[in-house]
Amino acid sequence: MAELNETIHQPVRLRIMAALVTLDPGQELEFTYLRDLLEVTDGNLGAHLRKLEEAGYIAVNKTFVERKPRTYVSATPLGRKVFREHVAALESILKNK
Amino acid sequence: MNITPDEAQQALAAIQTMAQKTRRALSSSGAYLFLIVWGAVWLVGFLGNQFLTSQHAGYLWFGLDIVGALLSWFIGARMGRRVRSAGGSVSGKRIAWFWILLFLYVVALIGVAWPVDVKQIAVFIVLVIMLGWLAMGLLLSITSIRLTLAITALTLVAYFAFPAYFHFIMAFLGGGGMIAFGIYIRNRW
Repeated sequence: MAELNETIHQPVRLRIMAALVTLDPGQELEFTYLRDLLEVTDGNLGAHLRKLEEAGYIAVNKTFVERKPRTYVSATPLGRKVFREHVAALESILKNK
Repeated sequence: MNITPDEAQQALAAIQTMAQKTRRALSSSGAYLFLIVWGAVWLVGFLGNQFLTSQHAGYLWFGLDIVGALLSWFIGARMGRRVRSAGGSVSGKRIAWFWILLFLYVVALIGVAWPVDVKQIAVFIVLVIMLGWLAMGLLLSITSIRLTLAITALTLVAYFAFPAYFHFIMAFLGGGGMIAFGIYIRNRW
């Protein structure tokens, strides 16, 4: 049976993962666009992204676009797998209600 | 870690809402702007055809096309910054080249068919642009094909069945329709 994942279950991190797994594999979302989608502050988003990155669930790619620094974020294969398992665990809790 | 069924339901609802919001934001974030920009270009350009001399209407279209192309480039660049994908910049450059070459093909076709009147030039350009949209739709977004086919049909019906009202139809139903559809995507998707 799938297990709940404590790192992912935190509300902001759950929404971050939900947004990132919506993208096709290989696609990455720009930091400020993700921030606006989630309606959180830069600092708040940065802190949660660090936790997810440390767990290996997301990849953070810092780069330059037209000479301006930009940060792109994507879900790793491991992140997609544990997110799917987390959703399965949530659904099983509802089924066994 | 243990949670109640209510908490599980709330978490699933949050996931669903976020996934939907992301999909909508990505699909509508730029598409509606392209439609509004080119709808406005058509509206003004075809009204120009109706009320101005051929020469002045030609200058107007030239200016409008440059403004439309610059705005499209700006919108496309903004969209490209939000989401990147492996090979994305390569395909973006190929799409840009496709449109540049298609424009040159239009010029060549009109040159071969010359002499043609203003209406025929307009239909030529619209049909080739729709061909380009069709190719883009088949590659990137199948749902946009319906709009492409509708505009193509409208153009042909206006040209063959209502030649006296051709420019008005293209301005208000073509251009106005694109603006309305752009606003619809912005508000509903």
